[in-house]
Formats: sequence, structure tokens, C-alpha cells
Amino acid sequence: MTAAIDIHHLDKSFGRVKALDGLDLRVDPGTVHGFLGPNGAGKSTTIRILLGLLRADGGQARLLGGDPWADAVALHRRLAYVPGDVELWPNLTGGEAIDLFARLRGGTDPVRRDELCQRFDLDPSKKGRTYSKGNRQKVALIAALASDVELLLLDEPTAGLDPLMEAVFQDCIREVKDAGRTVLLSSHILAQVEVLADQISIIRQGKIVETGSLTELRHLTRTSVEAVTDRPADGLANLAGVHGLRTDDGQVRFEVDGDQLAVVVRELGDLGVQGLTVRPPTLEQLLLRHYGDQLVGNGVGKVA
Amino acid sequence: MTATTLDRAAPAGTGTAVTGTGSLLRFMLRRDRIRLPAWALGLPLLMTYFAAALDTIAQTPEDLAGLTAFTSSPAGALFGGPGFGFDDLTIERFLAGQYGLYVLIGAGLMGLLTVVRHTRTEERTGRAELVRANVVGRHAQLTAALTLTAVMAVIVALLIGAMLASRGFDPGGSMLFGASVGAVALAFAGIAAVTVQLSEYPRAAAGMAGAALGAAFVLRGLGDMAAVQGSGPSWLSWLSPIGWSQQTAAYVHDRWWPLAVSLAFAAATAVTGYVLSARRDFGAGLVPPRPGSPRAASWLAGPFAFAFRLHRASLIGWSVALLAAGVAYGSFTQPLLDGFEDAPEDLVEVMGGGSGDLLAGYLGMMGLTMALVVGVYAVLAVQSLRAEETEGRAEPVLATSVSRTAWIGSHVAVVALGVPWLLLVAGVGMGVGAAASTGDAGLLGDLLVGHLAHTPAVWLVLAAAALLYAAAPRVLPVIWVVLGYGLIAGYFAPILELPEGVLRLSPFEHVGEYPLENISVVAVVVLTVLAGALAQAAVAAFRRRDLAGGA
Repeated sequence: MTAAIDIHHLDKSFGRVKALDGLDLRVDPGTVHGFLGPNGAGKSTTIRILLGLLRADGGQARLLGGDPWADAVALHRRLAYVPGDVELWPNLTGGEAIDLFARLRGGTDPVRRDELCQRFDLDPSKKGRTYSKGNRQKVALIAALASDVELLLLDEPTAGLDPLMEAVFQDCIREVKDAGRTVLLSSHILAQVEVLADQISIIRQGKIVETGSLTELRHLTRTSVEAVTDRPADGLANLAGVHGLRTDDGQVRFEVDGDQLAVVVRELGDLGVQGLTVRPPTLEQLLLRHYGDQLVGNGVGKVA
Repeated sequence: MTATTLDRAAPAGTGTAVTGTGSLLRFMLRRDRIRLPAWALGLPLLMTYFAAALDTIAQTPEDLAGLTAFTSSPAGALFGGPGFGFDDLTIERFLAGQYGLYVLIGAGLMGLLTVVRHTRTEERTGRAELVRANVVGRHAQLTAALTLTAVMAVIVALLIGAMLASRGFDPGGSMLFGASVGAVALAFAGIAAVTVQLSEYPRAAAGMAGAALGAAFVLRGLGDMAAVQGSGPSWLSWLSPIGWSQQTAAYVHDRWWPLAVSLAFAAATAVTGYVLSARRDFGAGLVPPRPGSPRAASWLAGPFAFAFRLHRASLIGWSVALLAAGVAYGSFTQPLLDGFEDAPEDLVEVMGGGSGDLLAGYLGMMGLTMALVVGVYAVLAVQSLRAEETEGRAEPVLATSVSRTAWIGSHVAVVALGVPWLLLVAGVGMGVGAAASTGDAGLLGDLLVGHLAHTPAVWLVLAAAALLYAAAPRVLPVIWVVLGYGLIAGYFAPILELPEGVLRLSPFEHVGEYPLENISVVAVVVLTVLAGALAQAAVAAFRRRDLAGGA
């Protein structure tokens, strides 16, 4: 099966700033692919190259089997895009903007459009200039979700939405996935990607530093364990793969490498475990593994 | 960046509505470190240019005397002023009484643009919100903007006064004329302080204040025409802020008291601005927004219809303005002809009537003027295209199945169709006005042809602007040079004695100012083909480059 997005060694510089530095990315059809990274890592640049808005300096990018620069118009009929910062025309209403995007893309389902307006609680009769950031984002989201396309390119699509709308958005993405469409979901909201994505790629300074399913990535990181044991558990600190062990009031906390979990759990059993909390690593922890140096340097915090 | 310059907050508990004005003013001076000197030196330099130009056309007392007939005619009054002391003309009287008008208009623009820039534009972009969240009073922004404008007005007044005095003119009159220039800046700063409260949009606020400037020009024009004719409503000049400055009669009566009217007017409008600003919400206009259609009209499909929809409001506005301006200038035709009757040959030439046919000269010149104005429309339209891109609205459109060719092509096509439309509207206005004024209905046809004939020249400006935008968007403002040169070449060529080859660098100097000159079909074809080629190059360049990021 052809990949929906297939990128090899993509380079892009703006003046002296290297935005993309040999980026590789593969998104399989019918999957939701989380595209994670901090601000300025190159997420938007990648998406703009995929849209043919920017021209890559080097490397290869294929989108739905076509060339994103040369076949832009034909490809755009098969995809919908939601920018991170939606700007609307001040004197057009939200409804007009939605219809316009749909018509420029080549048709939409009016029933679905109205249904989405309702679900997202959007008043389409307001002028573009009166919308808040979140409402502008809803306009772009509705326009994208109401269209019958194979691929959705979403660049931090929910940055301005409240938690209620975030939930609506997640429902919609699940429906899109059930319909067999492909989604590239760029985000730095980790919980969202965790819930929605089948595959995740982490981008840092224009390079993909990690890619795989959430399960695969979890394998690479440490699980947090809290336990209350009959006998003192200090000895666990000597086991391979156990990090940062602390004890207070008979409770022991530590992190353990994924592949050492079995050994540690067996040992805990032998110590007479009474209470046990095991948490899988969050995406924060995955990211911190790659950006930890920066964050610690900034005094933001350590892996908890 | 905005916030860091404002960290010197007032002590707690002492805040008033103008707290923070000082910090804001320093911040504005920092932001305007290039713009302020450009205005403050630009207006005195313009005055210097007029003084130098006058020296070349009036080298002997006889030359000067020859100017009298024109200056004391209604035409001279319309484009100059009430002509104080023109019966005993001196260089400085002519300078202040005739050319001074254009410096006064420039000062009005300076005042209104400065206030809009530092109030409504800041609010619209959201920067003012960051500022206001600091220890900054409700009225600090407006107060700082008005103070800045006052500072600029004083600098301009002093520099112009000093420049004129240094040419050996009477120091008292020189300082008075300088002050009268500053007074216009203050009056229009006051008007802008009101208009920025009315609309949410900086452009609309500047447009309303600009319309007031236009009205001030026309009112004093009508009044001054009546004054030189010795009959009619000469009091109209006293309704105009420009009129007050002209009524000082520098180098003649040297009266300062009309400037008190200007200052009182500036104060009253500023106070109105403060009162209105207290009655509205931050970021809002006084007129609440109305809801629109929840669905797009069925014709609104495809890039061309969409481009038209975006340009529609501006086209309507320009049509109304050009129609009104056309009728106004058209109805001056007969009074102008009467005024010109005794004018000396060389002056008629300056006004465009070289062949001795005054009527044709005036009408032809108005055709050129309207073409330059429509050129301004075309350039502004291309600039709005750039705003679509840099403000991130082009990106989602180009992410649909609209190709780059279709996007830029439809916008340029809409503007290209707007050009002959606007020339037609202006021509109809001029024609109706001129026909009514002279009683010769045949003028309507002449004016329509004369106006429409400039279409290819404006197209060339449009295509050049589009090419600049497509190939090097940052240098797009360079296109204003073409229009500015078109203005100089069209109006001042006889004074400047430009060689034919240099003159013809302006795209507006080829087709001919019908009905004074015949229309050159060759020029029409060449300009159109050239414009088409540039437009093609623009599309090709736009297809090749990266799109500017929105956020």
C-alpha cells in the first residue's frame, strides 16, 4: 500500500536558520499519526511543504502518491488543512467562509456541515472579525471535517478550543478514522495525541528523533512505580534498570526501564507487596527524554 | 517587545486615566524614529522645492506680474487660495498663497495618519491590549498619540518658518506660515481622534478623516473662488481647517487670530474623541457589528468570484468617491474657463492648455488626475493582496484546489476590470458635471473617452505592482515611485523643463490627454501588451516562490 505521506531526508532553510534537517516521516493510510514537537521544531514547515506552500531545499516528499509542489492542485482536492492560527476575512461570516473553503476544494455535504456547526456550537452568521481565536479555529475545523477527503492535515488544530470542544474534536477524529481516512495531527498537546494517535513521530530541531506506535515508544522509556511493601525495598535500587529510588513512610517510588519491569515486579512480590501503583509513561516523559536537557536547563523540572 | 518598554510603572495607588502617557510617548518616538523625521523634514523640503521651482519660473518682476492674472482667477483660487496681496505679488506671497495649500494638505495627512497609526491600528492588531494590561490609563494611548502629533506639528512649523526666513522673507510672516501648517496638522489630529472611535478598522478611521480633509479642501476652494470673484459664499472658507490657516494671510496681513480657531477646533475634536472613547468598549467601534448570512451566496464559488467578493467593498467605496470628485471638479469647468481668460500664455501651458485650448487642457488634465487616482487604487489593491498572504488568509485558500495561478490571476483580473470601471465612473461624474456647468452635453462623450484612454497606463502600473509583489514582496512600496513620477511628469513637466525622453518614462505620458491631445492607438496597444507581459511574469514568479507564513 502506498503511504499517505512519505518523506525522505527533507531539508529546508530560511536564510541561515535550518528549519528541517533531513526529516523522515511515513504515515500509513487509514491511521491517525501524531506529529509531536515543541514550538519551532519544524512541524508547520513540514506541513507547509506537504501543501506545496513552501518548496523543499532537498530530499523527497510524496503526498498521496504525488509530488506536493508539482501536483498541488490535484492533491488539494483530496485533502483538507487546518492551520494552527486561523485567520478569517473580517467582512465574511463564518458560514460564508466554511462554504467557500468547501466549494474551493470541490464540494461538501451540507447536512454534515450544519451538524458540525451544531456539535461545535458555532454561530455561522457572525462576521469573521467578531470571532475569538477558538471560534475561528472551529470554522476551519468544520470546513475540513465536512469535506469528503482522504487526508486531513491538522496543524495544532485545537490550540484555542475549550475542553468541551476538545472532546467533540476527539469524537470527530475517531469518526474520521473509522471512515478509513488518514490524519496527520501535529500538536504539542500530549494528552490529545495520546488518546487519538495510532502512530507517533517526535520531531526536534527539524529531525524525527523517535517514531512508532505509542506501545513501541513506551517500551523505550521508564514506567513509574509506587509500592508499599512489608519488608524494606531499598535493595531494589541495586537491580538493573531501576532509577531514582526513594523511600518514605514505608512507601517506595522509583522508575524502571520497560524491559526490566518483569524482574522488578517479581522482586516486589517477594518483598510482600501490599499496595502497588504502576503508571505507564506519559508523552511528557517521552518528550522529556529527548528535550530533557533543555527543560532541566530552563529549570522547568525533571521527570517525576 | 511591547511590554518591556513599559516596565516603568507608576507607583501603586496613583493611577489616573492618563497614567503611562510618558512611557507610551517615549515608546512611540522610538517606533517612529524614521517616520517622524521623514514627515518633519519632508514637509519643509516640499516647501523648499516649491520655493526653488518658483525661483526658476519667476526670475524677473515681470514674470511675477504675469502670474497675477492666473492667481487672482477662480482657477488659481481653487488650486491655491484666497490670494491675499496678489495684486502686489511677491515671491513669498505667491509661495504661501498658492503652493502653501499643498503643504497644508500634507500637514493634515501627517496629523491624521499619526493619530490613527498610534491608536486604532494598535487596538486592531491587539498590541494595545498588551499595553493596556499594564499600568496604563484609559486615555493614555490617545493622549500620547496627540502629544506626539503636536510635537511633530511644532517641529514642522519651526522648520518651515526657519527655512522661509532663511530665504530672506519677512521673519514674522515666515513663522506665521509655519504655524499655520502646524495648525492644520493639529486640526486633523483632532478629527482623527474622533474617527478612530467610530470604526474598528484603522483604514476606515483614516478614510473618514481623509474624507474630512477632502471636504476641507473643497469647502475652502469654493469659498476662495467666491472671494476672488467678489461674489458668492466666500464664508465657506471659514468652515475649513485649511481655510483658517490660509486666512492668516502670511506676508500680507500677518494675522495670528485665525489660528486660535484652529486650536479651539483641535481641542474640541480631541475632547469629543475622549468622550466617545469612554463610551465604547476596548477594540470595538461605536457601531455594533451586525450578523451576516450564515451561508455563502450561490455565486460565491471559485477563485474569481471570491476575489471579487474581497474587492467588492473597496470598489464600491472608490466608485462613490470618484463619482463625487468627478462631479465636483466637472462643475468647476465654467468658472475655471472664466478665470483663465486673461491668463498669460506660459501659465496656461503649466495648466495643460499648451495649444491655447483651455477647455480641452483642463479636461485632459483632469483625465490624467483621475488616472493617477485610479492608479492609487490599483496599488492599494495589490497591497491588500500582500496582506492576504502575510496575515495568513491566503494559506488555507491555497491549500484547497485553487492553484497559485488562479489565486493571483483572479485577484489581478478583478482589479484590472476595476480600473476601467473606476475610470468610467470618474469620467461619467466629470462629464455630467462639466456638461451641466458649460451647457455643452458633448463634453460627456469627450470625457468618457479621455478617461478610459488611460486604462492601459493604469494596467501597466497594476501589472508592475503585481510583479513586484510576486517576485519581491518586500519592495512592493517602490511602485509608489512610478505614481509619484507620473504626478510630477504630468503636472510640473513645463516648470521642470524635463526632456521628452525622461518625461516618457512615466506610463501616463504616452496615450495622450484627450481631448487636448489625440489618443495614440500605438501607445494603447504597446502599454496593454507590456502590462500583459508583466502580469504573466508576475504569475510565473508567484508560482515559484515560497508563501510567507501566516502566524
